[in-house]
Amino acid sequence: MKKKLKPKITVFHCINAINNCESLPIPYKDTFKLKSVKMACSSMVKDAFLLRAFEAGSDAVIVFVCPEGQCRYVEGNIRAKNRVNWVKNLLDEIEIGGRRLSIHNIANGDTEAAVRIIRQVLADINELGPNPARH
Amino acid sequence: MIVGKQKPIAEIKEIISPYKKVLVLGCGTCVKTCFAGGEDEVATLSSALRLSCKKEGKDIYIEELTVERQCEDEFIREAAIAISKNSAVLSLACGAGVQAIARRFGDVPVLPGVNTTFIGVLEKQGLFTEECLGCGDCKLAAFGGICPVTRCAKKLQNGPCGGSQNGICEVNPDTECAWQQIITRLGNLGQLDNLKKYNPPKDWRPSHAGGPRKLVREDHFI
Amino acid sequence: MKSESLSNLQSILDKGDFAVTSECGPPRGADPEIIRKKGELLKGYVDAVNVTDNQTAIVRMSSIAACAHLVQLGLEPVMQMVTRDRNRIALQSDILGAYSLGIKNILCLSGDHQTFGSQPDAMNVFDIDSMNLVNMVKNMKTEGKDMSGFDLKSPPKMFIGAAANPFADPFEYRIIRLAKKIDAGADFIQTQCVYNMDRFKEWMRLAREEGLTEKTHILAGVTPLKSERMAKYMASKVAGMDVPESLIKRMGDVPKEKAAEEGIRICVETIAGLREIKGVHGIHIMAIEWEEKVGPIVEAAGLSPRPQAA
Repeated sequence: MKKKLKPKITVFHCINAINNCESLPIPYKDTFKLKSVKMACSSMVKDAFLLRAFEAGSDAVIVFVCPEGQCRYVEGNIRAKNRVNWVKNLLDEIEIGGRRLSIHNIANGDTEAAVRIIRQVLADINELGPNPARH
Repeated sequence: MIVGKQKPIAEIKEIISPYKKVLVLGCGTCVKTCFAGGEDEVATLSSALRLSCKKEGKDIYIEELTVERQCEDEFIREAAIAISKNSAVLSLACGAGVQAIARRFGDVPVLPGVNTTFIGVLEKQGLFTEECLGCGDCKLAAFGGICPVTRCAKKLQNGPCGGSQNGICEVNPDTECAWQQIITRLGNLGQLDNLKKYNPPKDWRPSHAGGPRKLVREDHFI
Repeated sequence: MKSESLSNLQSILDKGDFAVTSECGPPRGADPEIIRKKGELLKGYVDAVNVTDNQTAIVRMSSIAACAHLVQLGLEPVMQMVTRDRNRIALQSDILGAYSLGIKNILCLSGDHQTFGSQPDAMNVFDIDSMNLVNMVKNMKTEGKDMSGFDLKSPPKMFIGAAANPFADPFEYRIIRLAKKIDAGADFIQTQCVYNMDRFKEWMRLAREEGLTEKTHILAGVTPLKSERMAKYMASKVAGMDVPESLIKRMGDVPKEKAAEEGIRICVETIAGLREIKGVHGIHIMAIEWEEKVGPIVEAAGLSPRPQAA
């Protein structure tokens, strides 16, 4: 029998939204894997990085960006949003599922919101099942 | 620049399906600028193809490489080693690049990953518009710098058709009427008299109608 | 050498009579009876009948063939020819062929773009434009040469028409374009349907000012409205068409079953108005799939019977 895999989430985050995702107080931390990628601005996220996170076995990928109008680099978070939407379509096209990728505006240091979103994504994975390209 | 658009992934998967080892080969010139086949697009497409094949349990090896220009032999040579290691090349260059690779590497299948669409300009970030058909006999001087051969859906040489309304082409509401633009511009230039001139039937010989074209510069032969 | 007889339309216009032309769309099939039936409905009421050339880019019986059927019937056709589907070689060849079949009038058009038709995946040609086509037919007539400069044996001497749309933009350019078409060789002009009389009058005033009405025969287009829906459709969906709100309202104010009658009444009134305009030498009635109404309109407008050609 196949052993049930632990859900895996990759979080790309702007350090101005959330400084550190590893230390977030998420309950039942041993029931899932969380990998975080820190960025000086969310505009550093590229289409290929998001896809590679899925290639590396993520069941879901989250991008945390600053609220609109509050990007230090003016429109970095808007660029990130456009790219995420592009990659979501791509994920639908290859039937991995665009729902596995999401982007969220997080006010500086709002860890509570970040935890809530991650828990919601974990619940979504439960419903969606594992990344179909994760063998 | 040459503007192109990446083919749908389903079509790309179909054309690479007979091969187990594929080199996705980008071009760092025109198609990079229009987000169809530069380094970033090579990485994204390769990753998407790997994911998709893995999902379907298909075994595929995908290598990524981008050269500066696929239409020049000097740059193509850099891809020789990578090409020799793969059973096919998926080129993300324009049609010229695809053929240049095919010409140099006679025994490797070279497949197109991009639909070459037009010669155009970057009108604004993310928007490219067609401006030139390469007809080989430029008459822009008479038309205030706006090309009716390219930008009028009927290639009209002697003024707008009856479907021009409020500056919009009847064929597509997103297209401005080239003739409206020509008239406005000639007005601004004080050259409205150009509109009264009869433009005779166009000589299409310098265009593709005369078969594939060549440019010869003997002074550059070595 | 046999003497070249003028077309009926030309001789009527040359005499200074007010001309009436109409239109007949060939069938989407190979049955000549349909053309003959439409022809019979028009016979005696009009001086010539335009035969459309794959109008709205939908495949139909060829204009030349349909024209030839009308000639056999004793009706005079105006062969419409578009530059969308044929290059200059085919256009010239078809003009020679058409003339050999007794077709003496031609209307030179660029043609509706293929994206509006049933086969939008088709390639278009547009080797030359309608202006070039007018000039080509003129050179055949006056110089006796084809486009290569070759002296044709028995060159075709067509009575040459072109279209003009007084309602399309840019308005101020429309007269320049009209002048260009006349210089290129247009003997007569058929206009887009006139609903907005004020704008048409203004266009005619400009044409007179430029002396254009002395150089060509302008036939004003009219199309009877069948319903309020058709009026709204023409106003909003047909490019280069100007239907004033007041007309749409007038069509809507009568009961549905009386709408067609009202449309014809408007058409007859329009014709009366057009006849008053200096420089309008005739009307072109485009009764789309409503050929049976052309006769009644012509009669009601007092334009019947038609003069006999010399």
